[in-house]
Amino acid sequence: MTVTMPTQENDVVVVQNVWKIFGERANEAMEAVRRDNLSKAEVLDKYGCVVGVRDVSISVAKGEIFCIMGLSGSGKSTLVRHINRLIEPTNGDILINGINVGDLDPEALREMRADKIGMVFQNMSLLPHRTVRDNIAFALELRGVDAFTRAELADKVIGLVSLQGYGDRYPSELSGGMQQRVGLARAMAANPDILLMDEPFSALDPLIRRGLQDEFLELSHSMKKTTLFITHDLDEAIRMGNRIAIMKDGEIVQIGTPEEIVTKPIDKYVSDFVAGISKLKLVFAHTVMEPIDAYIARSKTSLSTEKYPKAGPEDDLDALVTLVVDQEHPILIESNGKPIGIVTKDALLRAIKGES
Amino acid sequence: MDNEPNPFIEFAEKNGAYYADVFIRIQKSTLGFLHFNISALIGSFIWAALRANWTLFIIGFVIDLIALVNVSLYAKYEQAAIANAHKGFLVVRYEGWSQNHLITAIIVFIMGRILFAWLADRLYAAQYNKWRVNRDINSGFSLSRLTVVALVFALIVPLMIYRSSQFAPNERSCIRQDRAISAGESVLFKNRFDCFMIGEFPTLIWIDRPDKVTYPRDEKGNRTVLHTPPSENAPPVTLATYVADAVDNSIGYLTVFYGYFFDGITLFLRTMLNAISAVFVGTPWMITMGVLVLGAHKAAGPRVATFVGASLGYLAIFGFWQAAMDTLSLVMASSIICVVMGLPLGIWVGKSRRGRTFMTPVLDVMQTIPSFVYLLPAIAFFSIGKPPGILATVIFAMPPMVRLTALGLQQVPESTKEAALAFGANPRQLLTKVELPLALPSIMAGINQVVMMSLSMVVIAALIGAGGMGFIVAEALENTETGRGILAGLGIALLAMMIDKVVQKGSQRTNSKH
Repeated sequence: MTVTMPTQENDVVVVQNVWKIFGERANEAMEAVRRDNLSKAEVLDKYGCVVGVRDVSISVAKGEIFCIMGLSGSGKSTLVRHINRLIEPTNGDILINGINVGDLDPEALREMRADKIGMVFQNMSLLPHRTVRDNIAFALELRGVDAFTRAELADKVIGLVSLQGYGDRYPSELSGGMQQRVGLARAMAANPDILLMDEPFSALDPLIRRGLQDEFLELSHSMKKTTLFITHDLDEAIRMGNRIAIMKDGEIVQIGTPEEIVTKPIDKYVSDFVAGISKLKLVFAHTVMEPIDAYIARSKTSLSTEKYPKAGPEDDLDALVTLVVDQEHPILIESNGKPIGIVTKDALLRAIKGES
Repeated sequence: MDNEPNPFIEFAEKNGAYYADVFIRIQKSTLGFLHFNISALIGSFIWAALRANWTLFIIGFVIDLIALVNVSLYAKYEQAAIANAHKGFLVVRYEGWSQNHLITAIIVFIMGRILFAWLADRLYAAQYNKWRVNRDINSGFSLSRLTVVALVFALIVPLMIYRSSQFAPNERSCIRQDRAISAGESVLFKNRFDCFMIGEFPTLIWIDRPDKVTYPRDEKGNRTVLHTPPSENAPPVTLATYVADAVDNSIGYLTVFYGYFFDGITLFLRTMLNAISAVFVGTPWMITMGVLVLGAHKAAGPRVATFVGASLGYLAIFGFWQAAMDTLSLVMASSIICVVMGLPLGIWVGKSRRGRTFMTPVLDVMQTIPSFVYLLPAIAFFSIGKPPGILATVIFAMPPMVRLTALGLQQVPESTKEAALAFGANPRQLLTKVELPLALPSIMAGINQVVMMSLSMVVIAALIGAGGMGFIVAEALENTETGRGILAGLGIALLAMMIDKVVQKGSQRTNSKH
């Protein structure tokens, strides 16, 4: 299945029809796939090649947090490594700020990696022989920034991730959560436009993970970094992402906002995924409300809306539940002071259950 | 009995009940220590073959073969005693030998059979355990396996018996036969057979004697190559002689026409060694000792420093000071060369597939050739003295440096390298800022190995005049001065332990700093 996204002016990262086939006969296999539309298993069988990424197109807008969600082996880590060309695509293009990454010569590529893109890894991958500060300043050092400026910039970032006082420690002296803060700081030290986060919080305890997620969201709001965030955890994807792409077997199954993914899963695979997700914070009044005219026509009563509890169309189910407790009346949804819809208790309960 | 198929019986087939009982007792650990398998005692390797247990087959066959060979040796020496009846002293000798072999034959046969019968059921049970997992393993009882026995028997036993019942001809008499045959004379079949089958491996290839090569000067004083053909009726030479001659000639050619190259290396090594030994030997002993102890203290702490002080004290008191410092200079010089050359080579091996394919066999050869073989080419190209000693040492001691550097680089986690690349590292930065620092513990282990191996080789290099402690040992060996040799050997051991402790402790300390 091909998902094509309309690309816009302010899209920072654009991935166009990218394929990655691993194996010695990758090009041959690519030809065959294009000709005969072979499946993953057929390619493995006939050419001994593994399809890592299959015709993926995405575009990420400036400042957006774009989550890529999938189980292990779905190709999400492979996909994200195409963006800074740690992996060369078998076919397709990657544009960053309109520049085709595949056209860059090695030096320009290194420059782009150091200046434009920061990356955070699941296993931190810190350098054990360097202090926290030197780890954070690594990208700057590679670009030849002098030691004084390096230390200054690194200390600034250390403050951002609340690691004050740990600059002169070695990574092995830090806990897992703190090490990942160092990883995050290292990615942001050179002030890149784009952050690639490869399951950054997956290896951490749930409590520490949640704390780091919140901190990252806060940082992200203030610094407006375009972020590609990889996770295998749908809860995390929903918490973090402005949009989510769900991957399976190297393909993108569905792209959408968290609400779209949860309320309108495109197939059984996605709906199985979202089955256990609480809708309270994801579904909003405008989705569940009945237009005011339809409600009047159906109930055939004149409305005395003064007694009705009132809410806006952007309020989530959680807020509506709070309003409707101990109330006989349905909720009136108002926009700019004008009533536009009604949410009855029944509709609310059905929405919480995930029925439409 | 119920109808469940009993796996023990299924496995053993013939006599299944007996083996089922034995295997169960083995599994319950209730098998008596003095349990023997009677049919194995009688049948030996034939029993093993029928049961398809080839381990036991080889054990039984070898035991019986040894007994048989001893019987035939007994027969041979009995015969020889009779044949030499006119020479009394030979009779006594041969009779003594024949008795020994007869006793050996009887003991080996009886003890061997008992051992075999004791092993039989235990190893057979092990075969059963393997069979439980993999049903392709032979099981049961089959007469067809006797063909294998017959084949092995026919191939090995007659020749072995013949070999041990006959006196082997010497090489010279075989060469005489060769000449006689080529001259058209007839030779007894038995003599010919003996020469071919039971003597030295027969010389199959004879080659015309090669030209003799010399390098006289012409009238202008330049060296020329002069080939002198062998005389008309010179006998042909063996392959080994021919190839050895060719090697000698090429070495001769290189040293005559490219001598300046080897002289250059010698000069370089001598200069370097002079500089180092000026420090070790030239400095008054008090200062050297003080500096070494202080250095050990700084690098490896007070305990190692005490040990170093005591060892140096031993060397000084027993009069080995100069020799030890000589040895230390040699070790230092060759270790430096090993590290300087081994590190880049190790990086090449660790990072490039081509480097690995090329260097692995070279390193294997370097490490397996006995150490004193290196002395020969060193002498051939560089004559004797300290520089060839250093060179032989370098060849001997470099492989661990290369290997451990490569190993260290290969052990750097892929993810760490990926992270460095993701932040824009170029290949040089990747090597110097990530790979080499992370490989440092392994590289330090390599340096330690190099130093230790240099020390052991430097001692051997005394045979070609490298001097030092090794010279004292070699001298003691020549004059059977056992006591002095042992004292010097102890000194070498102390020297080695000293260096090892300092380098090891030192590298541990640097590594634990982060």
